[in-house]
Amino acid sequence: MSAQLLLFQILNGLGIGMIYFLLSVGLTLIFGLMRFVNFAHGAFYLVAAYLAFAITQATGSFWWALAIAPVLVGLLALAVERVLLRHTYAMTHQAQILITFAVALLAQEVVIFVFGPQAQNVPMPAEFSGIVSLGPYVYPAYRLAVVGCVTLIAIVLWFVVERTKLGATLRAGSEDTEMVGLLGINVDRVFMTTFALGGALAGLAGVLAAPLRGVEPFMSVEALGIAFVVVVVGGLGTLLGALLGGLLIGLVQSIMSTVWPQGAQLMIYAAMAIVILARPAGLMGRS
Amino acid sequence: MADALLSAEEVGVRFGDFQALSGMSIAVEPHTIHALIGPNGAGKTTFFNAITGVRRPDTGRITLEGRPITRAPAYRRVRYGMARSFQVTNIYPALTACENVRLAVQARHRREGWIFWRSPAARADILDETGALLSQLGILDRANTRAGELSHGAQRLLEIGMALGANPRIICLDEPLAGMGIDDVHRTKSLITDLRKRMAVLLIEHNMSVVLSISDQITVMSQGRKIAAGTPDVIRNDPSVRAAYLGSAA
Amino acid sequence: MNDQARFPDRTTALVLVLVVLMPLVMPATLATQILIFAIATLSVILLFGSVGLLSFGQGLYLGAGAYVAGLLLRDVHIGLLPAILAATLATTVLAALLGAIIVRRRDIYFVMLTLAFAQMAYFAALALKDFTGGENGLSGLPRNFGISGLPIASPLAFYGLTGVLFSLAFLLVQRLNASPVGSVLVAIRDNEARTAAIGYNVAIYKLAAFAIAGGIVGLAGALHAAFLGFVPPTDIELEMSQRLVVMGLIGGVGSPAGSLIGAAFYILVSEGLSQVWARWMALIALLIIAIVLYLPGGLWSIGARLSAAAKREKHHG
Repeated sequence: MSAQLLLFQILNGLGIGMIYFLLSVGLTLIFGLMRFVNFAHGAFYLVAAYLAFAITQATGSFWWALAIAPVLVGLLALAVERVLLRHTYAMTHQAQILITFAVALLAQEVVIFVFGPQAQNVPMPAEFSGIVSLGPYVYPAYRLAVVGCVTLIAIVLWFVVERTKLGATLRAGSEDTEMVGLLGINVDRVFMTTFALGGALAGLAGVLAAPLRGVEPFMSVEALGIAFVVVVVGGLGTLLGALLGGLLIGLVQSIMSTVWPQGAQLMIYAAMAIVILARPAGLMGRS
Repeated sequence: MADALLSAEEVGVRFGDFQALSGMSIAVEPHTIHALIGPNGAGKTTFFNAITGVRRPDTGRITLEGRPITRAPAYRRVRYGMARSFQVTNIYPALTACENVRLAVQARHRREGWIFWRSPAARADILDETGALLSQLGILDRANTRAGELSHGAQRLLEIGMALGANPRIICLDEPLAGMGIDDVHRTKSLITDLRKRMAVLLIEHNMSVVLSISDQITVMSQGRKIAAGTPDVIRNDPSVRAAYLGSAA
Repeated sequence: MNDQARFPDRTTALVLVLVVLMPLVMPATLATQILIFAIATLSVILLFGSVGLLSFGQGLYLGAGAYVAGLLLRDVHIGLLPAILAATLATTVLAALLGAIIVRRRDIYFVMLTLAFAQMAYFAALALKDFTGGENGLSGLPRNFGISGLPIASPLAFYGLTGVLFSLAFLLVQRLNASPVGSVLVAIRDNEARTAAIGYNVAIYKLAAFAIAGGIVGLAGALHAAFLGFVPPTDIELEMSQRLVVMGLIGGVGSPAGSLIGAAFYILVSEGLSQVWARWMALIALLIIAIVLYLPGGLWSIGARLSAAAKREKHHG
C-alpha cells in the first residue's frame, strides 16, 4: 500500500471512527446506566439518515437535515421509551433484546414502506463538497469537517457528563442505579433523558454518515453490530471508551477494507468476541 | 489439626483495595458443630464463600479430609463432601419443594444426572430419599407446593434440605435461622443438632442463644480476622469478643 | 411428588398427527419447507426454552450443515442419508468447539458472542469462495436421491424423509426434557448459581445442550441443501439466525411443539401475505412485541391455556 493510500485510509478511519463514536456513545450510556439492552439502537441511525435524505431532497439544504433529523429521532426515541420500553425494565435482558429487536424490524419495514428498498444517495453540503490540501495531498473537505464537528460534540458531551448535574446523575446512576433512586432523583426521568439523548446522538451519526455512505434500509443491522462492538471493546458506560473504541474500530475497518474486505468485518466481530472472553470490561471499563 | 475434617489456613481475600479477610484459619472436627460469629461486616460470608468455592482466596490453603480444595470449583467441593446453604434464600422458586430436593439428591448420583433416555421418576430410590429428607425437614406435606410459594421458614428449611441432599460430610449453613419465627427456630435448632450424628456442621449465625447452646466450638471474627476461638464457655467470657460486638454497635 | 414433563404425552401425539396430515392440506414442497425450519427452530427452543440461553447465532450451524452436506453430495458423491448424517455430526462437533468458548459467558454477553460468531462465520463463508461459492452460493447439487436403493424422487417422498427426521428430532428433544438431563437444564435456567452449589458441573451441561442444538440445526441445514439443490449464503447470514428466533418465539419457547407452530405460522404468513402486502414483516414485528409483553409462551401457550381451562371446567362442572 502506498503512503498516500495509507494516509487516506487512516484519515478515513478517523473520520468514520468519530461517527462510530457518536453512534455508540448513546448505546454505552443506555447500556451502562440503564442496564438496558437496546437492539433498536441501529434503527435510530437508520431513521435519521433517511430523514436527512428526505429533508435534503425537500429543502435542498443539508444543514436543515443536520439540525432537524437528530432532534426528530431523539423525540422518536423518547416516544418509544415512554410508550413501550418503559414497561420492560423489570424484564429479563432476553426479553428486552427481543422487544427492541422487533422495534428495529418495524422501523426497517416502515422505512422501506416510505422510501422503497433501494439505496439512495445523499448529497454533501455544498460548502464542504470540495477538497482540502494536506501538504502534497488533497483530501475531501467533508470528511475533515465531520472530524471537526464530532470533536466539538465530544467536547460538549464531556462537559455535560463531567461538569453538569445531569452528567453527575448519569455517572452515579451507572455505578449504582438503586442508590440514585433512593437519593430522591427521578430515575424515570433520567432514563427517559438518557434514552432520548442516546437516540439523538445515534441519529446525528446517521445524518453525518449519509453523504459518505448513502442510505439503504438494511444499514440498521450493520450499525447495531458496530455500536455493540465499539461499546464492548471500548468499555461499558464510559465516554472515553466509546471514543477509543470507535476510533479503533474505524481505523481497523478502513485499513482492512483495502487489504481484505471480508476480513475487515470478520476482524471486527472477532475483536468483540475476544474482548468479551478475555476482558469483558473492555479498554476503559471498570473490571 | 491433623484430625480436622475441614481446615483453612491463612486464608486471605481482597476486593480491589479492600482486604476483606486476612490470615483466617479454622479447623472443624468431624461430628461437631462449629459456629462462626462476629459483628456485621466481619467477613463471615466472605470466608464462607472462600471455603465453599464461590470465591477463590487470594492467599491461604483449604483442605477437606486432607485433600487440598483451595482452587476447586464449587460443584466439585460437593463431590468431595461439602455442601452449603445460603444466607439469602437461593432455591428454585418455580419448582416444587420436592423437585428442589430431588435435584440435590440426583446430583449426588452423578451418572443419573446424565441419563436422557428415561424419566427421573424411574429411580424410586432417589424419590424415596427425597421423601425422607422432606419428612426430616417437616415439609413433606408441602412437597408439591412451588417453592416460591412456601412460607419463609419453610424456604429456609428447604435451603438446608438441598444441602443435605448431597449427603455431605460437612455442611456449611449461612444464617439458617435468619428471619425465622420461634417455632421454626426450635425445629431448625433440633434439626441441626441431629445432623451432628452424621456430619460436621459449620454455621454462621447471629442468634447468640442458639449458638451458645448447640455449638461445640466457636470462632469469632472481626474486621476480616479471627479474634477468638474456643468452646462456648470460653467465648462467653472473652472480653475481646464483647468489645468487638459493642465496639461495632457504638 | 412428580412435576416432571411426561414423555410421551398428548403433545407428542398431536405433533406426529400434524406431520402426517400436513401434506394433505398443502403442497408437499411447502410442508417440507415448514418442517425443515421447524427442525432448525427446535434448536432455538431447546437452548432458550430449556436452558434459558438465547442464541442469535443458530444460523451458523444451519449454514455449516448445508455447506457440508452440499459439498459431500456434489463432490464426494455419497448418498443422501450419509451426507445428512455426516453434516449433523460435523455441526455437533463444531457447536461443541465453539460452545466451549461461548457458554463461558452469560446473559447479554452470551447473546453477543453468538451474534459475533454468526457474523464471523458469514464473512468467513463469503471469503472461502472455493468451498462455499461465496456470494453465489454452492450450486450444482444432485437432484436425484436414493436411500438404500429406494428412490426419493417425488416431493412427497422427500417430505416423508423430512417428516421422519423432524419426528426423530422432536422426540429427542421431548425425551431430553423429560429426563434427568432435562431436569438439570431446567434447574440451570431457574437458578444457575444454586445448580452449581448442589454439585452439577453447569458448564458441561450448557455445552452439551449447545452441541446437541448445533447438531439439530445442522441436520436442518443438510436437508435444506438437498431440498433446494443449492446452498445460498443467506443460510448462514445473520437474518437466518434472527428468523429462527422469531419462529421459536412466535410458536412458543415453552414447548418443542412451538417449533412446528412457529415455523408453520411464519412460512404460511410469509407465503400468503407477501403477495398481498410486501411489508408483512411489520406485522411479525408487532406480533413479537405483543408476545413478549402479553404471551411469553407464544402461540402454543394459547392451546395450553385453553386445555387447562377446559380441564378446570370439567372438574367444576
